[in-house]
Amino acid sequence: MKLDKLRSALRKRFGDGVEAREDRGSIVLEGQLPSWEARLEAGSRAVGAGSRGVVNDIVADDCAWAASERLDSPRDPGRDEGEKGLEGLSFDVAVIGGGVVGCAVARELAKWRVSTILLEKEEDVAFHASSRNDGMIHDGFAARPGSLKAKFNILGNRLWEALAWELGIEFRRPGSIVLFRNAATQALYPAFAARAAMNHVDGWEYWSPRRVRAEEPNVCDGQHGAFFLPSAGVISPYRATVALAESAVMNGVRVELGTCVKGFEKEGDRIARVRTDRGDFRASVVVNAAGNWADVVASFADDRFFSLHQRRGTDMILDSQAGGLQRHIMAMPSIMQAKSTTKGGGLVTTVEGNILVGPTATELPGRESYATSTSELRTLERHFRINRRLLPSMAITYFAGVRACTWEEDFIIERSRRVANLVHAAGIQSPGLASAPAIAEEVARISLDVLCATMKVSPNASFVAVRDAPLELRRLSLEERAKAVSRNPSYGRIVCRCEEVSEGEIRDAMKSPLPVRSLDAVKRRARPGMGRCHGGFCTPRVMEIVADELGIGIDEVTKKGPGSRIAVGMTKSGLGEGFRG
Amino acid sequence: MVDRKEYDVLVIGGGPAGLAAALSASGTGARVGLIEREECLGGILKQCVHDGFGLVRFGQMLSGPEYARRFIDLVEGSDIAVHLETFVHAARRLASAGGGYVLECVSRDEGVFEAYAPALVLATGCRERSDRQVFIHGDRPAGVLTAGLAQHLVNIEGVLPGRRAVILGSGDIGLIMARRLTLEGMEVEGVYELKAEPSGLSRNLQQCLSDFGIPLHLLMTVVEIHGKRRVEAVTAARVDLRGSVIAGSERLVECDTLVLSVGLIPENELALSLGLGLDPSTKGPKVDQGGGAGEGIFVCGNALHVNDLVDYVSESGEAAGRDAAGHALSIGAAGGTAAPGRRVAVKAGPGFLYAVPQFIDLSRPGPAVIYFRVNSTLREGARVSLSAAGETLLGKRYPALRPPEMERLEIDPGRVPEGCDSLWLELERKEADLG
Repeated sequence: MKLDKLRSALRKRFGDGVEAREDRGSIVLEGQLPSWEARLEAGSRAVGAGSRGVVNDIVADDCAWAASERLDSPRDPGRDEGEKGLEGLSFDVAVIGGGVVGCAVARELAKWRVSTILLEKEEDVAFHASSRNDGMIHDGFAARPGSLKAKFNILGNRLWEALAWELGIEFRRPGSIVLFRNAATQALYPAFAARAAMNHVDGWEYWSPRRVRAEEPNVCDGQHGAFFLPSAGVISPYRATVALAESAVMNGVRVELGTCVKGFEKEGDRIARVRTDRGDFRASVVVNAAGNWADVVASFADDRFFSLHQRRGTDMILDSQAGGLQRHIMAMPSIMQAKSTTKGGGLVTTVEGNILVGPTATELPGRESYATSTSELRTLERHFRINRRLLPSMAITYFAGVRACTWEEDFIIERSRRVANLVHAAGIQSPGLASAPAIAEEVARISLDVLCATMKVSPNASFVAVRDAPLELRRLSLEERAKAVSRNPSYGRIVCRCEEVSEGEIRDAMKSPLPVRSLDAVKRRARPGMGRCHGGFCTPRVMEIVADELGIGIDEVTKKGPGSRIAVGMTKSGLGEGFRG
Repeated sequence: MVDRKEYDVLVIGGGPAGLAAALSASGTGARVGLIEREECLGGILKQCVHDGFGLVRFGQMLSGPEYARRFIDLVEGSDIAVHLETFVHAARRLASAGGGYVLECVSRDEGVFEAYAPALVLATGCRERSDRQVFIHGDRPAGVLTAGLAQHLVNIEGVLPGRRAVILGSGDIGLIMARRLTLEGMEVEGVYELKAEPSGLSRNLQQCLSDFGIPLHLLMTVVEIHGKRRVEAVTAARVDLRGSVIAGSERLVECDTLVLSVGLIPENELALSLGLGLDPSTKGPKVDQGGGAGEGIFVCGNALHVNDLVDYVSESGEAAGRDAAGHALSIGAAGGTAAPGRRVAVKAGPGFLYAVPQFIDLSRPGPAVIYFRVNSTLREGARVSLSAAGETLLGKRYPALRPPEMERLEIDPGRVPEGCDSLWLELERKEADLG
């Protein structure tokens, strides 16, 4: 029996420190191991031993703190307790999580006459993984054939172009060049093509070394041609998420930011009420799109048949002045990469015109630990070899994100087998952004199926698919820009010099359908502070505008919600002593 | 078509360099347009409420706003056309005879317009390096800010950035802010400096740190920031003389604010977009003694190299304004061409960080000023000489030389011998400083 085999393998490897048992089809690992690495190894070994997922509850001695993140809901000491605006309300669907998946699900549900609430614990959507990735809409080649990742990636890739148009956000398909570094990798072309065919990837080509050079004059010497995937695209992941959420709100979805789910009240095999820090309410269907907390949300419903582990990825952004040095996405994987659970990263040409280097893939504890490190950046340096003109000194910033990974390394997109009105969209790691529109369609379909048993569901005839794109002055022609400024002079006052963002664009963002309360939320929408000076010049100006729009003091403005004020109070005089004219 | 305004000289940037350039150009009779992004002139001086400005130029200790006011008053009394809250979206060179430049400008009050002039002065100043550029890792909470931003918040907005600060970098703005934050009631835990020597002016070390008992930790740096929403602590560590962190020396310092004074970078995005190359040692364009970078572009102030004293910024602005006006007016007189004069290169020998300008135009009247910095502290002083083809043209003895402190030499271009194509700046050190 598989479980017995697993037990003896674990005993052989780890001694008596670890126990494995089966719980309703899932393999549950418990005990104590000296290191995080050992815990990871045990988790991976357990895959396939049961009929359901792996739940890894082993405590690692070197990261014992991570165990506290196992079942607790996230804590946020900065939040204002007491306000209970949701108490006693009732919704057809409650979506938990304001990442790209949750927001896409909410918008999909808005196409139907159902009442939907989306709950996000942070002060903005796209706060975690959805603003911390490379923005790639993958072609689907890298996913394991037959996996949900492969299926939803391909479908999502086909949906994004039209969806981006509806949402008024930029989408480009630069295509992805996977370089062959030597004759041995070049010989893998037929295997690559077979895999692409198996995954139903939309097109692939062999490019000779000469063709690669013609397309990308700065490519490294010594390449042996490439596998070219024309369907690979790029998008701004946070803008996409914000746009999805705004479109959902415009079509009647209630988005509640700063609202944390604390548990569920069940009646029989159903969730009756959702408990939050802002009151308890009834929901007929609950969608679990809680990202790195999806296993915790599942546990609230006694449906923790899987657990998540965290894989951190660091990306580096190069100065926009380097943006012209490359047209396509480029990567040069080693043969070892073929067996890896990750795609290995590369050079991504972003929609904003920068080049992004990354991501890395490092197993580290911490559901929301975004610390970067020297060693992670060093790992990225190998990608600079791909393009002869790129230098690490061109980096203007770097950041980390955390992938929410199941031990099976695949998505979980299904109706719960134990809780009749719970739908999971869990373990959505890369290519989650690319897959999101397709995941949303599937999750909405399942949710509506559940609803149909108790109510009549009809399409929302007044659904408006098109969201007007926010005005971006720097992209207009001089004449169009002149018209815009004469209509609204605040479009003529440039606040962020690096990204050329006007006061008017920031005020527009503040007036958008979703509440915008912090500098980071403004940055996600209008980009002030995204450039090479990192807000050194524009921060006070953006603070003034945010304070003005919110009607608060400038010292009350936060970077990212409660507990993150930029200033702690006024100076002794409370007046600036310099001059402003 | 958008409106086009025509000038002889367009100055981009209304800080000390741009103010001086606009005034000197205007003084020669040129029609001058001055473009400033912010709502008033003065540049960074607006927020520098401490004194110490103008000692060289006016023989007085002025505050930043007072120093700026002297120039602004003159500008306001001149016929210089000042475009406030105006941003240069793009600059392009005209291919037609005579060349010249068209700037695409965006302004709150004047809308979108173009500005044309045969000569362009770039007085775009510099920006601060950020935590990302010095590779401080860890979390990204509120409470991490550059010294200039901290200064703006305190001196312009009237808000306090935190309660307990760690300052990284002993550059002048860092030292000034250590004192300023202390006076405002913040606790400054200490100033950390990666190098073995402080980076700021000696007078600031005394007046901003010693006088307030703020410790200076040399050969130490900040390697990591902690805190999810607001800074809770930083990890400080010792470094060796090469700047590498000494393993095991890390210690946690509790604070809610990290102020960074880790260097300035000349702002040359416009210069690059116009095809100017940069000198890797100054990070500014290569210029002659009037800031001339060729084809009617002139660069001055901190856009050229980071100066220690505003007095020198004004001096370089004046030279650039004068030469820009000369260029514009000679094009008008010569019907579309301005003949370049014979140039010799200025080269800095061993022991120097850099010398500016990189060229001297021998056709230009009047003395040429050469600014330089040495790359290590010479406590015993040194003799600096300028030679051409083995012949010493001039020499000057300095009692002490430190990298943060810029020095200057003046040379009469008429003394450069025929047939020589480069001048060498040479350093004679004392025995004690050679080790």
